[in-house]
Amino acid sequence: MTSFQFDASVMLETLPLLMEGARLTLWVTLLGCFFGFLFGVAAGVSRSLDSPWARRLAGIYIELIRGTPLMVQVMFLYFGLPLILGLRFPPLTAGVVAIALNSGAYIAEVARGAIAEVAKGQMEAARCIGLTQAQALRFVIWPQAFRAMIPPLGNQFVISLKDTSLLVVIGVGELTRSGQEVIAVNFRAFEVWLTVALLYLCLTLGISLSLRFLEKKYKLVQ
Amino acid sequence: MIQIKEISKSFGGKKVLDQVTMRLDQGEVVVVIGPSGSGKSTLLRCINALEQPEEGEVWLCGQNMATADLNHIRSIAGMVFQQFNLFPHMSVLDNLTLGPKIVQGMPLKEAKDLARALLHKVGLADQSSAFPHQLSGGQQQRVAIARALAMKPKVMLFDEPTSALDPELIGEVLAVMRQLAEEGMTMVVVTHEMGFARSVANRVVFMDQGKIKAQGPTERFFNAPSHPRLQNFLSKVLNH
Repeated sequence: MTSFQFDASVMLETLPLLMEGARLTLWVTLLGCFFGFLFGVAAGVSRSLDSPWARRLAGIYIELIRGTPLMVQVMFLYFGLPLILGLRFPPLTAGVVAIALNSGAYIAEVARGAIAEVAKGQMEAARCIGLTQAQALRFVIWPQAFRAMIPPLGNQFVISLKDTSLLVVIGVGELTRSGQEVIAVNFRAFEVWLTVALLYLCLTLGISLSLRFLEKKYKLVQ
Repeated sequence: MIQIKEISKSFGGKKVLDQVTMRLDQGEVVVVIGPSGSGKSTLLRCINALEQPEEGEVWLCGQNMATADLNHIRSIAGMVFQQFNLFPHMSVLDNLTLGPKIVQGMPLKEAKDLARALLHKVGLADQSSAFPHQLSGGQQQRVAIARALAMKPKVMLFDEPTSALDPELIGEVLAVMRQLAEEGMTMVVVTHEMGFARSVANRVVFMDQGKIKAQGPTERFFNAPSHPRLQNFLSKVLNH
């Protein structure tokens, strides 16, 4: 039916170019998730505080991000915001910010859940020896909640890594973009997208395995 | 030392404490007994402001708990919980040093010396590097007592400290509490252990339906129970 001939050598030839993209994908993911983790923990802790203002503010952030598509957030950050601010971030910066804000909202819910999971008795016991709420969170609740967060955190990192492929719309030269560029030259869509998919798979497996290692290392016997 | 003036507290429309008044002098050991749901635990939790009463006042060491700096005053009253509530991610020693280190700013070495001395006192000198999950319930509760003592409290509050323990482990916890009482610690103990109440308490308080129904010096309390509801309660808990 077609005269298509699979050519494995194309995969090898394009690999170095695609690896460049994969490297950028990994960087955007790591940076985005690092800041996303900070945003997420800040918002998640705020959701667990006594202060109603902290809770409300974090709630607005979480709902805003979770209720809109990442694609729209990316376009808004890159094309929309500059019209008001009068300056445009480079695509890479906009991409990292988008991934950070987006993963932060989901990580916030993970953090809130993990904090809630640490029994109420722990907070009371900490307050009874005179710790303030902040000290109790830092020394007693957080070390336990962090352990509970590791598995869902790994999940979110994998999702964020795959989400970086959307940054293609603002021209970040990550893995998907590299794939498009290679195909524009050699027209070998089958081999190139297959290689791109395999590279994504390697990256997500890498994340899953490292998080599983962390989980084992910090396992807490109750 | 502790003055409770007509406090009331409700949860979801149900009155758990109804105009309760009580006072406690230095060195006194008071045991609070009563059926479950009678408000004993809530009364105890009002003393160190884990619960805030809706009406009335609680005074601890001359300070009104409604206006006092809670972070400071809470460590005056050490609390021991039914479920121990040790910090599972810390060794026994770290459980004991956390408060002195963070709250009182004690140097680490001093905090560790204090912790070791307290572990020795509760008979667990050899367990300082163990983690809570490696200990029996009785040992965990003794660590919890030592952790509270590390803050050098003026009062110790015990909320059913032996209710979650296997029967053969209750004795070791009660022995530590008895020793504390003999050393002159002011104590409020919510418990179902009538033997302990009889031999250690200076005074026993009987609560029912959010009110103090009867109280008195231990001897008289058990030998000549005044209130019919108390007679009924005692006949149930003493004869089984």
